[in-house]
Amino acid sequence: MTHSLHRRGDYECLKDDFVVLGCPATGVNKIGSAPKTQKYLSIAYKCGPINLGDMKTGNIHNTTMADILSRVSDGTIVQCTFDNRDKIVTLLKELKNDRPGISVIISGVTDVVQQCMHEAGLGYIHSLEYSLGTWGHTEMLPDFPILKTVTMCGHAMIASDLVRKMVRDVKRGRRTVKDCVKEMAECCTCGNYNLTRGERIFRDLLPLYTVHSLY
Amino acid sequence: MKVDEDKCIACKRCFPYCPMGKIQTFKRHEKIHGRVYIEIDQDACTDCGMCLRADICPVQALYQPQEEWPREIRGILSNPLIEFKGSQVPGRGTEEMKTNDVKGTFKPGEVGVGIELGRPGVGAYFRDVELIAMAMMGANIGYQLAEENPVTHFMSDKTTGKLRDDVLGEKATSAIIEGKCKLERLPEALRALQEAAKRVESVFTVEVITKVTPKGEVPIKAVLEKMGIWYSVNTKNNIGIGLPSYDFYGTSK
Ligand code: SF4
Ligand code: SF4
Repeated sequence: MTHSLHRRGDYECLKDDFVVLGCPATGVNKIGSAPKTQKYLSIAYKCGPINLGDMKTGNIHNTTMADILSRVSDGTIVQCTFDNRDKIVTLLKELKNDRPGISVIISGVTDVVQQCMHEAGLGYIHSLEYSLGTWGHTEMLPDFPILKTVTMCGHAMIASDLVRKMVRDVKRGRRTVKDCVKEMAECCTCGNYNLTRGERIFRDLLPLYTVHSLY
Repeated sequence: MKVDEDKCIACKRCFPYCPMGKIQTFKRHEKIHGRVYIEIDQDACTDCGMCLRADICPVQALYQPQEEWPREIRGILSNPLIEFKGSQVPGRGTEEMKTNDVKGTFKPGEVGVGIELGRPGVGAYFRDVELIAMAMMGANIGYQLAEENPVTHFMSDKTTGKLRDDVLGEKATSAIIEGKCKLERLPEALRALQEAAKRVESVFTVEVITKVTPKGEVPIKAVLEKMGIWYSVNTKNNIGIGLPSYDFYGTSK
C-alpha cells in the first residue's frame, strides 16, 4: 500500500505537501491500538491538517472529525495531510513528547522531512521508500500538469477526465476553483488530497486547456 | 458497475468521474421508444465504485452487483472502501515499511521492491501482473514475495510468480506485487523490470524500501545513481517512533 508515495512534481511543487500516517503493526501492537490511533489523530488534528481521514470512513470533507475519531478501531490506519513544514515540526515535537505507540510515517520531500525531524530532536529517518517513477507504456498517462493533480489520490480516484471537466466548468463560469478543489478532495476518500497544493496546481493548469473537448 | 437501462437517461454526468476514462457507450432502449441509456464496458470497468460514490446520477441508475469469483477481485483491489481480508490491512497491499520500526520487515542489507501495475489511472489486467511477477521470480535473485499481499494470494505457483488462470482476464485500477531481496541483488531486480517494461501493455510504478543506517545513510541511493535510475525527491518516511521498537542491531541483548 503505497498510495501517498507516487505524488508527482518537482521539489518546489512538493515541498509543502505532507501526508502523515498513523499505522499499527499487525501481529505486534495492532490489538488494543484503537486508543493509540485516536491519540495520534487528536495530536495531529491540533496541528492543523488541511485534510484528514481513514479510507473506510472517509475524510473531513465527506464526514466530520468526530465521526472519523469515533470509528477508529484496532487496525485503522489514519492519514493527515499538511500544507506547511512548520506544522510538521510542531506535530513531530508533540509526538516525541507524547508517543502514541503506533508507527508514524511521513510522505514528503525527503530533505524537508529530515530537517523537520532534526528540528524536533528525532534524529534520522528510520526507513524510507523511494518512488522510481512510472515504467511501461507511459504514453497512456495523462499530461504531466494533470498527473500532478491525480497522483494526490494514490488510489487513482480523481479521474483525469474530471480534472478536464472542471477546467471547462470554471472557464464557463459554472463553478469556482474552490468548488473544484473541494470536489477532488471528496473523491479521494482517505484524505490524501492536499487542498492548498491542489488549488495551486489547478490554477496553474487552467490556462493550459481549452474548453471545447469533452462530454 | 452496471447501469439500470430502464432508469438511465444518458445524461453523461457520471462519465468524467470514471478513472478508467470513456468506457461507457450509448444504447437505444428497445422497449421505451425514443429513450437512450448507457452501458459500461464490463471488461474495462474495474468496479472501483467511483462513479457510484460521486453520487451524481440524477436517477440512481448506477448499481454495483455482488460479484462472484474471479470478478470480485476487481472491487477488492480497486475500491478503496473494500478490504482484502487476507492482509488484514485496509487497501490493496501490505503494511510494507509503514511498520518497519516495530516489525523489522526490512532489515539492514535487505531491500523491499514493490511494483504497482495500472497506476496512475490506466488500470491493468492480471496477465500483465503475472508477466511482471514471473519476471521478478525468473530473475533468480531470491525475491521473497510478501505473504499477506492479495496478488501473492492469487498465485498458483509462488515459486515462479504464476497467477491462477481464472484471474488473468480480470482488471484492477491498481495491483501491487510486493517482496524483498538482498541489497546486492537490487541491480538485477531493476534490470529484470526494465526488460519486462518493454512487454507489458500497461504502466507500473516501482518502489524500493530500505532501512536508513543509524548515521543517516540511505544504502540504495548509490545503487540507483550508479544505474542511472531516476528516483523522486519525495519519499515515504518511517520516523521510527512506534512501540515496541524492533531491535535491528541486536543492541538490547
Ligand atoms: S466502477 Fe469505476 S471503472 Fe467502473 S464505470 Fe464506475 S468509475 Fe468507471
Ligand atoms: S449519470 Fe446516471 S442517468 Fe446519467 S448517464 Fe450516468 S448512469 Fe445514466
